Amino acid sequence: MKYLLILLIFALCTYVGFLFSAKYTKRKKFFSALIAFADKLSLEINYSRERLKVLIENFDSKQRKSLLGVDEAFLQYLEKKEELSSETIFKKAGVLKSEEKDAVLLFFKTLGRSDVENQTKEINSFVSRFSEIKTTCDQEQKKYGSLSLKLGIIAGLFCAVIMF
Amino acid sequence: MLEKILPEKFFKIISEKVNLRAINEIRLRADKPVVLNISGQSFFLCETGATSNLKNALYASKIIIEDVIFRASECSIYSVNEQIKKGFIVTDEGVRIGIGGNLIIENGQVKTMSGFSSCNIRIPHTIKNCSSVALPFILKDNIPENTLIISPPGCGKTTFLRDFVYQLSERNLALNVLLLDERGELDCNINSNFTDKICFSSKKMGFENGIRSLSPELIVTDELGQEEDIEAIRYACTCGVKIMASTHSESIEAFSQKPLFTNIIKEKLFKRFVVLSKRNGPGTFEGVYDENFARVYISR
Repeated sequence: MKYLLILLIFALCTYVGFLFSAKYTKRKKFFSALIAFADKLSLEINYSRERLKVLIENFDSKQRKSLLGVDEAFLQYLEKKEELSSETIFKKAGVLKSEEKDAVLLFFKTLGRSDVENQTKEINSFVSRFSEIKTTCDQEQKKYGSLSLKLGIIAGLFCAVIMF
Repeated sequence: MLEKILPEKFFKIISEKVNLRAINEIRLRADKPVVLNISGQSFFLCETGATSNLKNALYASKIIIEDVIFRASECSIYSVNEQIKKGFIVTDEGVRIGIGGNLIIENGQVKTMSGFSSCNIRIPHTIKNCSSVALPFILKDNIPENTLIISPPGCGKTTFLRDFVYQLSERNLALNVLLLDERGELDCNINSNFTDKICFSSKKMGFENGIRSLSPELIVTDELGQEEDIEAIRYACTCGVKIMASTHSESIEAFSQKPLFTNIIKEKLFKRFVVLSKRNGPGTFEGVYDENFARVYISR
């Protein structure tokens, strides 16, 4: 029974460490997917000039999963089912920092509101901004992501040793 | 359709308290009251429906107008910029939205329009059989004569043309019809088995390409208004293609005085002129005239 409890506490501490670590990975993946999405938009707006709704729906489904529901919320807005606000769009994207949310919200607010030339310029400007954020996310993930996991394991081991 | 583009509040009032079928236009101007054109008369939109009293009127704002245009473009202004440059957007349902704002001009060319300050939502209506009365005077041995529909704006020219195409198909007149739809509003709700269409092309280009590639027997097009349109008509006539077109004019007399049409009147390219008015509401059929402007049929 005692060994089982030790094992359980170790697993729990490791899991908590993993959760903290995953937060950094999710943020990194989010911005990778967002940059890919913006690049795709920029390309398609210039080439096919297809409507936003179609472009979003046709975006790579694997990458869409990394967008943490922001794309889905934006589609709801396009269909006039929801407002475009921080509360509605980031329901599942709690891992983002406040200033990151502001940038992403601004990006979605500008979509579809101007002609090809200006829309492309705006998207490209956002891509640069998101790239900078992604670099920061990379660094933070390397620095704190693996640290969180290691700390979780160490904390688990520490508890196990004490209980033993 | 209106549900998608209008603010929820406006749509709710219009759909619940105004007869949607009777609305011809909805005009929104920044910081001005919303105006409904109902059966040819203007009213203000208010909480209880339509009113003549300005005090109760609901106002549109610049943000509302921008949002209407954004929604009408299916949230993709970039995809309809070519239309916006010409001052309108046509939705998939054939609703034409005229737009007012600031034209951005670069090197003498219109690049786009910004700062939208007004819009005019024109709601198309299908009036079945509205062209039936005129049909016997237009058809000769089951083939339409070259015909021009004449009326002031908002009198049902496009509705008449749409119904005419429908009537041809209904009567099994297996004519290959080419719809040359410069603004994308002629095409909506046409259920015809013998119709091809070219949309958003100039008349000159549409006539040339259409005649070469689709071999139509009849070309139906809206709103002749430029010298190049007349040239396109002349070209079609020399190719033996029949024409059904429309143009703006107050009356048959005013039309006959228009310099743009002097030559084709002399050449008698059009054999029939159908005159519409708003006398008893949009689409009032006034009469049919022949190439010498003699009355073939007159409505009482």
